Formats: sequence, structure tokens, C-alpha cells
Amino acid sequence: MTPGDAAIVSVFVAVPPAAAFDVFTTEIDLWWRTGRKFRIGGRRAGRIYFEPGPEGRLFETFETGSGTRTFEVGKVTTWEPPNRLSLEWRSVNFKAKQKTFVDVTFEPMRDGTTVTVRHAGWSALPADHPARHGLEGPAFTRMLGSFWGDLMTALREYVARSDDS
Amino acid sequence: MSDLDQTLAALSDPTRRKVVELLRKKPRPAGELARAFGMSPPAMSRHLRTLRQSGLVEEEHGGEDARVRVYRLRREPFGELRGWLEDVEAFWSAELDSFKAHAERTRGKAKTPR
Repeated sequence: MTPGDAAIVSVFVAVPPAAAFDVFTTEIDLWWRTGRKFRIGGRRAGRIYFEPGPEGRLFETFETGSGTRTFEVGKVTTWEPPNRLSLEWRSVNFKAKQKTFVDVTFEPMRDGTTVTVRHAGWSALPADHPARHGLEGPAFTRMLGSFWGDLMTALREYVARSDDS
Repeated sequence: MSDLDQTLAALSDPTRRKVVELLRKKPRPAGELARAFGMSPPAMSRHLRTLRQSGLVEEEHGGEDARVRVYRLRREPFGELRGWLEDVEAFWSAELDSFKAHAERTRGKAKTPR
């Protein structure tokens, strides 16, 4: 893994580590956001759940016209309640061998827990990523799309500022 | 001029913005870009030079014919990886906010004992 290619996000939650770990894993479907940006199935009926344990996996299912589809999002590589959970993480547009790495830590902090997600491995993707050859996977396109959207917004603001002056 | 200023200045021209939009799909030879905009090659060449100087695009030699120069979008000036990571961080921030709200609602104590 390349240093500096991780996204790192932390949150303080006012519950003990054991509860935080439990909610994070067994209740994931209850808090994982819905909609296109967060679930492969978008707004279709579906579920995201862990098969718990050190050999476990993370799945998302969703309903289609021709039945229920199941996508394996991740494979658990570390399952150490209440401290740590690691996964190999794949988005729906990843090729067979492409994967990223998610590491979640639960650290006791005063009367609660600091939960930190470190999502790494992104720099390994671009070289032969489908998007680079014009085969745009939806998730990747959204990522790039929002990046370009931001740039275009910055541009519009810049132009508006220049017009004002 | 900062990198961002230079990028934005290069993109402040509508033709150059459209060139960038076209190059998002795939790299293209300069001649093809000129034709797409109904422009003379020298006029297009001036736009491409500005884009190149701002670091937004780069030219490469196109395959068998070394005389054909193909333009492609560069990602580095946009802090490509940084851009993705910011998206990934925005994604996880949203998820963790939602996680926190749910965990505290269902497992949190109404009042923290002292």
C-alpha cells in the first residue's frame, strides 16, 4: 500500500466500544445510508449485512425484476471485537482482483468510543482501472463526476467573482 | 499565479471547457478536435497550448504515425487521487454520522453519569 493513499475519518460516539462494535456490525443495515450514493441497489429494497466472525463477509442484497441480487462488498480480514475490524473492500465496478482495504478501530475515549475508518489502497486502482479505458463503471464515474462537478462549481464561482470585480 | 488560478483561467474559456469535456471521454488527435469545433488547426492549437501550459492536458504521440499528436487529460493537476480520497472521506463521514446517530439513539445513556 502506498503511504498517503488512505481516506481517514473519525467520529466520537457516546457508547462503549463493545456497543459501538456491535452496532457497527450487527446493525449495519439500520444505519448504513440508503440511496444511489451509498448502496449498489440504490433505492431498491435491499439489505446490507455482515456474516460475522473472522472469516466473515459483508454483503449487499437488493431486489430486481428478476429476483434478489447479492453482491459481496467485503471479506473480513480482522474481527477483533470490541477493538478492530478490517475488510477487503470492493466496489461494484472493480475488476476481479481489484480491492481496497478498510480498517475500523474502536478506541475507548472518556465516556464513549472513537471510531476511525481508514480506507486505503486507492492508488493501486487507476493504472488499469476500467474508467481509464473509457468503460465507465457507475461508482467510479460518480466519484470522478462529483470531482468534476466540484471543479466546475469552483469555476463558476471564480467566473462570477471575476465578473463582479 | 497559483495552480488553481491557472487551471481556472485555462478553463474560463468556453471552447477550452468543451475540449476538456470531450477529452474526458477519450484522448483525441488535435486535428479531430479542430474539426469538432469547426476551427482551423492553428486556432485549436492555441487553445491546446494554453491547456497544456496549465497542465490540464498533455500530448502523446499517437501509435503508428509519429506525426499524429494525441491530446489527453492529465489528472495530476486536479489532485486526482486527493480528489478521490476526499470523495471517499465524504462518503465515510456521512456513514459515520449516521452510525453515531443510530448508536447513541439505541445504546446511549440519556444522561452521562458523573
